[in-house]
Amino acid sequence: MATAVERGSTAGTEQRAPARKENRFTFAGRMMAPALIVLALLSIFPFIYIVLMSLSRVGLIGGIDLHWAGLDNWSRLFSDESVGAAWVRSIVYFVLTVGLEMVLGIGIALLVHSLVWGKNLVLSLVLMPMFMAPAIVGLLGRFLTDSTYGLYAWVLRETGLYTGDILGSTTSAFIAVTLMDVWEWTPLIALIVLAGLSSLPKPVIEASRVDGATYWQRLRHIVLPMIAGVVIVALLVRSMDAIRYFDIIYNTTNGGPADATKIVPIRLYETAFRFFDLGYAAAIGLSMLAVSILLANLFMRTLRKRGLAK
Amino acid sequence: MNGGRIGGKVLLAVVLLWTIVPLLWMLMSSLKPQEDITSTTPVLAFTPTLEHYKALFSGGNSIGSYAVNSILAAGISTLIAVGLGTLAGYGLARSNFRGKDHVAFWIISTRMAPIAAAVLPLFVIFRATHLLGTTWGLIVAYLSFNLPFAIWIMNAFFADLPPSLEEAALVDGASRWTAFRKIALPLVLPGVATTAILCLVFSWNDYAFASTFSGPDSQTLPIAASQLVTQTEIDWGQLTAIGTIVVAPMIVIGLIVRRWLVTGLTLGAVTGE
Repeated sequence: MATAVERGSTAGTEQRAPARKENRFTFAGRMMAPALIVLALLSIFPFIYIVLMSLSRVGLIGGIDLHWAGLDNWSRLFSDESVGAAWVRSIVYFVLTVGLEMVLGIGIALLVHSLVWGKNLVLSLVLMPMFMAPAIVGLLGRFLTDSTYGLYAWVLRETGLYTGDILGSTTSAFIAVTLMDVWEWTPLIALIVLAGLSSLPKPVIEASRVDGATYWQRLRHIVLPMIAGVVIVALLVRSMDAIRYFDIIYNTTNGGPADATKIVPIRLYETAFRFFDLGYAAAIGLSMLAVSILLANLFMRTLRKRGLAK
Repeated sequence: MNGGRIGGKVLLAVVLLWTIVPLLWMLMSSLKPQEDITSTTPVLAFTPTLEHYKALFSGGNSIGSYAVNSILAAGISTLIAVGLGTLAGYGLARSNFRGKDHVAFWIISTRMAPIAAAVLPLFVIFRATHLLGTTWGLIVAYLSFNLPFAIWIMNAFFADLPPSLEEAALVDGASRWTAFRKIALPLVLPGVATTAILCLVFSWNDYAFASTFSGPDSQTLPIAASQLVTQTEIDWGQLTAIGTIVVAPMIVIGLIVRRWLVTGLTLGAVTGE
């Protein structure tokens, strides 16, 4: 308890300090209690429940009914080739979307940063997609790629680049849902990286310019190393969200055609709400949760290294 | 050097086209007469009409009630999350107890839990507690990501304030609650607004929770949008109109707090401008 609180106290308060520290701890505790109790109900309780579900056969007839099934769901999970294939697709989708978003986002941030005037307007325009509901992005993507009425389908057809049904064949559907995600989330990366660029000390950049460094030399040896920390934060924030959402695919191909876009959360949904195999879905869900906890852990470490987790 | 500058302008134009065209096309299509939408070549010149918006709000399946559900679910969960989260964020920022790191980690992993995984136990729990199909169920579901988010972000905003201001007030005899209310809180109001707007955007934009938990009495606008897609045909005019209705307010309020967005969206890891 004595080590509980040690934020600086001013000279005048020193003699009454112990009582005040005690009091402050309980005050902070009282402030946190309501939120943490609600959070516990919303996280710890469901977590215990999903673990139990993953160890059971879940019946939905006449309420809920858990039949102890031991490690059945788990052993099935590790030998299920279709779930394995969904993981592979998820990883490819993740690497492609997040990778493209990082590269394009950094590029757009550099571009906007170099603008002399109109920076705020351009930034506002560039940011717009990231406020959209991902489900609407999916539905809009469906409209744009519709083989009869779609604008982008028409452009591709007229230029002779692609004449087939975009969401109807496996490779083009995968590329299309990837690009929809990239369209929506590249602005987020650009926004974060731009904040990093804006905080760079001007004298350093000026000095290198005076020393005759070219744009690319400055970028490679000065700018990029200095914003590396911010870039890593952008990568982690985006990665955590990339694992959370599946709305775009859910509203376009829903895993098809021929399973080409069936990533893990889509597989989970199908297992839970089409085949009503909730126990098995819980095991899939917990394996996803493990990945996101790993990422959250990395994020916390980065924060601590940057000295910002206070 | 000049060549680089022209190249930059061309690149910028490409970036803006890539970003804006889909949004502009959605807005334009929502205002086009039906025959211009179903034309096989894109139509740029048309006489604007509100027929698709009117159709959405008329008839037995008006989207009015969906809009009310959206506003209630997103609004109430935001109010609760920001209220509780501001108090807890302050408490967290002004204390340094053992195990604080673990609490912080618990909070962030709750925020980051994959939606598909969170939906499963909540579905079963809601079924047992009769929250399935109700707006309260959605509010609770949205709290599961908004509350940890609000606590975390408000903690970051309060941690940026030097505690010396509040300490000076304490020396003058103010209570801790007064020091929080009269000194700390007014200084983080932009933070509170940013947190509220982001919570609102996250829950307004939700699809997965609503598609699983909501029933006829609690379905939200994104659900109404997806219901326009049927096996036989899709009414693109109405779909782009509802898309515009869902998207436009979020873009407007999101851009209002643009200065503080970076802090909010990086969970306090990067501060902007």
